[in-house]
Amino acid sequence: MRLMSGSKEQNMINEKKDRRLALFQGAMLAVNFVAVSFICIFIYITTEQIRAHYNAREFLDGVVTIPENPQMNLIICLGLMGALVLTFAVRHFWISLSNSWTVATLLVDFLVCAAVIYQLDFNYNGLLLLAFANVIAYVRDGKSKLLFVVLAICGYLVADYNLLSIYMPLYRMADYIQYYPANAQQYLSSINSIMVSLNVILFIAYCIYVINQQRGTIEEVNQLYHELQTANEQLHEYADMSERMAQTKERNRLAREIHDTLGHTLTGIATGLDACLALMDISPEQTKKQLELLSKVSREGIKDIRRSVNELRPDSLERLSLEVAIRKMVTEMSQVSDVKIYFETDEKHLKFDEDEENAIYRVIQEGITNAVRHGKANRIWITLKKVDGEIILVIRDDGIGAKEIKSGFGTKHIKERIEMLRGTVTFDGSSGFTVTARIPIRWGETYD
Amino acid sequence: MILKSDPMGDRQMKKRTALAATAAAAFLGVGLAVYTGNMRREIVLEFGMFTGSNWDVANANSFVIIDKAIELFEEEHPGVRIHYYSGVRKDDYSEWFSRKLLAGEEPDVFMVLGTDFNQFSSMGVMKDLGTLMDQDENFEPGRYFDSAFRTGQYSGRQYALPYEVVPTLMFVNKSLLTKEGIAMPDEDWTWDDLYEICRKVTKDVDGDGLLDQFGTYNYDWLDAAYANDAEIFETDGDECYFANDRVVEAVKFIGQIDDLYRGQNVTQEDFNAGDVALMPLTFAEYRTYKTYPYKIKRYTNFQWDCITMPAGSHGENLSQVDTLLMGISANTRYEELAWEFLKLLTYNEEIQMEIFRSSQGASVLKAVTESEEMESIVQEDMEEGDTVISGKLLGQVIEDGRIKPQFKKYEQAMSLADSEISNILENDRTVDSSLKILQRTVNSFLQQ
Repeated sequence: MRLMSGSKEQNMINEKKDRRLALFQGAMLAVNFVAVSFICIFIYITTEQIRAHYNAREFLDGVVTIPENPQMNLIICLGLMGALVLTFAVRHFWISLSNSWTVATLLVDFLVCAAVIYQLDFNYNGLLLLAFANVIAYVRDGKSKLLFVVLAICGYLVADYNLLSIYMPLYRMADYIQYYPANAQQYLSSINSIMVSLNVILFIAYCIYVINQQRGTIEEVNQLYHELQTANEQLHEYADMSERMAQTKERNRLAREIHDTLGHTLTGIATGLDACLALMDISPEQTKKQLELLSKVSREGIKDIRRSVNELRPDSLERLSLEVAIRKMVTEMSQVSDVKIYFETDEKHLKFDEDEENAIYRVIQEGITNAVRHGKANRIWITLKKVDGEIILVIRDDGIGAKEIKSGFGTKHIKERIEMLRGTVTFDGSSGFTVTARIPIRWGETYD
Repeated sequence: MILKSDPMGDRQMKKRTALAATAAAAFLGVGLAVYTGNMRREIVLEFGMFTGSNWDVANANSFVIIDKAIELFEEEHPGVRIHYYSGVRKDDYSEWFSRKLLAGEEPDVFMVLGTDFNQFSSMGVMKDLGTLMDQDENFEPGRYFDSAFRTGQYSGRQYALPYEVVPTLMFVNKSLLTKEGIAMPDEDWTWDDLYEICRKVTKDVDGDGLLDQFGTYNYDWLDAAYANDAEIFETDGDECYFANDRVVEAVKFIGQIDDLYRGQNVTQEDFNAGDVALMPLTFAEYRTYKTYPYKIKRYTNFQWDCITMPAGSHGENLSQVDTLLMGISANTRYEELAWEFLKLLTYNEEIQMEIFRSSQGASVLKAVTESEEMESIVQEDMEEGDTVISGKLLGQVIEDGRIKPQFKKYEQAMSLADSEISNILENDRTVDSSLKILQRTVNSFLQQ
């Protein structure tokens, strides 16, 4: 509930902001409209005055050049400014306007501004500020924003009367102002420069407003980030706590397990042995029976312990026998990677210590992964043999191999695992890639 | 069986073909209608010209040549009409044209006065003819007199083509020379010859203590400078060379002649009365006053003729050549047609020959001015005894003639220099140092 009312509030603030932004843009558009109209109408009226008073030739002596047709100039400029008003209206009243359409209208704006500036022979380039202001407000995408900014800056640099008048004849507002008597000239020049300044001032105010607004947003983001970090820390604490709780739970289970199985059995055996001690002299027959029973109990105890330990093992591998696990992995890998994997072993009874089984399983897994990922192999052959009390594991593939064996190609893990079992491992990347591992197996006591 | 065409498919084919044919016919019909509609819409090419002569002589036939050209052009280009405003006097033409220019209503093809050409070219209102000339395979600039052709250039670009050209010649009062026992000067006479004539002719005939017979009227420093091969301005008008030896010589030479007149002013009345031996005169004036009806108005009480200008110590028998230019508006909608019409007026030999028939200047085409036909046309209007200036000599005077440099401040710089030099001569100031000061003054004006 609190969250919803919050976002509603936010929306209202945003709307208010947007309205103020639109007001700024509208004001800039109005100022530019007035400025452009002023120049066009002024030139048109002055031209008519000059013609009416037959001062044309004298006037021409004092000018750089003249517009091609002042009346047409006026019509074209007003038409183009109308187009700017239209795109402005489209952006503000067409609510469902997509982003690309907004960018399109901004592009139109740029072209229209360029056309007006060209039509006015670069006497007024304040329109670029208007176009630029819109870009600041609307374009969020970094790349297009950069493009527009570059366009605007280049435009502003190039569209300078004093620069361009070196290369081509351009008419000057000042020439037309000079036609009037001195005091009128002052008024006209002031009006002209006031409009130019007003536009610049509005632009600066607008920029400050936008920057302020963006700073507000940044602060908001910072605050949210801070909150997020606090929440994250809390989560970490929760995670630690639940881990500790899981450990405690596990310990409790282990204790219970030991108590239930080993404790029970050992207690039984101890009691049985006590009974045997007492019986031994009286009835060796009975004692033998009792010992047989104890032997049975202890075997069952071992079974129980195996079962418990099995349950404690995390990996699925461990619930299956090594061979089954390997075959299962090979099948799965073949299915997911389009690689043909052949596994063969001459050992009928693959049963080793847990760490040895683990190492063999992991090395095979790593080997297949390497062959597929780095070797781009199509076929992989895996053999597991017992020679002179050692297990020899060979993983060979037909991939691209490697001229130099670099550590970090997954070979490091293999090496570490094998060395932990005091085994040795060699790699050969000359034709495909071959991993050969020798592991001295502790063929000691098995549980059976 | 398979080869036999399927009747259903056949029918469908026919239907489709019919449909396509109908569509094509409709398309063609619409196209034709649009085309003929366009054909019927008449293209009006505006031509701007002034009434009367460019050379300030009476000219009753100013429309004859233009009307003939228009007739020829409209015959060759059906659907195109050429419209011109009649009744704009030369004095009003500049203002009239400027007013049209300000409103963007300037004619497509127009005459441009020498005093306007630089200003209009710099404003970019005249079309750069470079591409049009290059694209036109039938156009060979070498057929124009070089001096006349170069008059249409501004900052190294061709903005106008010459239409009519007028060189300056030296008017010689043959009666006076005969009376004083002086032979008619040769075509390659020099300053020394001129000075000799002046010295012999200048005298007080009636013995009232005042001079009443003079050597020259209106022969000024610029005429002398041109004949002394002096360069007065740099081509693009950034610098002037008034302190140059050749200019100094020319000014000094005029000073020497002035000294002969003992400070007395020679007037047009003296000349009209037949008391002046020599006067620079344009070819247009020569033709006007040599022929009926104007010859009975002026210079009737003595025999006269024209020869080349006297050569200075470093120069040749050269004089200033004035050219009436025509250009195309930079904003014309019918570039090709305007070019064709401009070419017809300035490049067509038939039209150019009309200049000798109906105007007072000379053709800008070498082949026309140097032709025998021209001589016989000019001879027609003259009295039996009068000699005609030969086409070859006229051609040479024009081809080698000096033209006004084309840059924007020329007229103002020249009037500044003119008044200062007459000041120097009137007050007998030191020519060398005064011209150095003048050069500095004019240079600073040019570089403003």
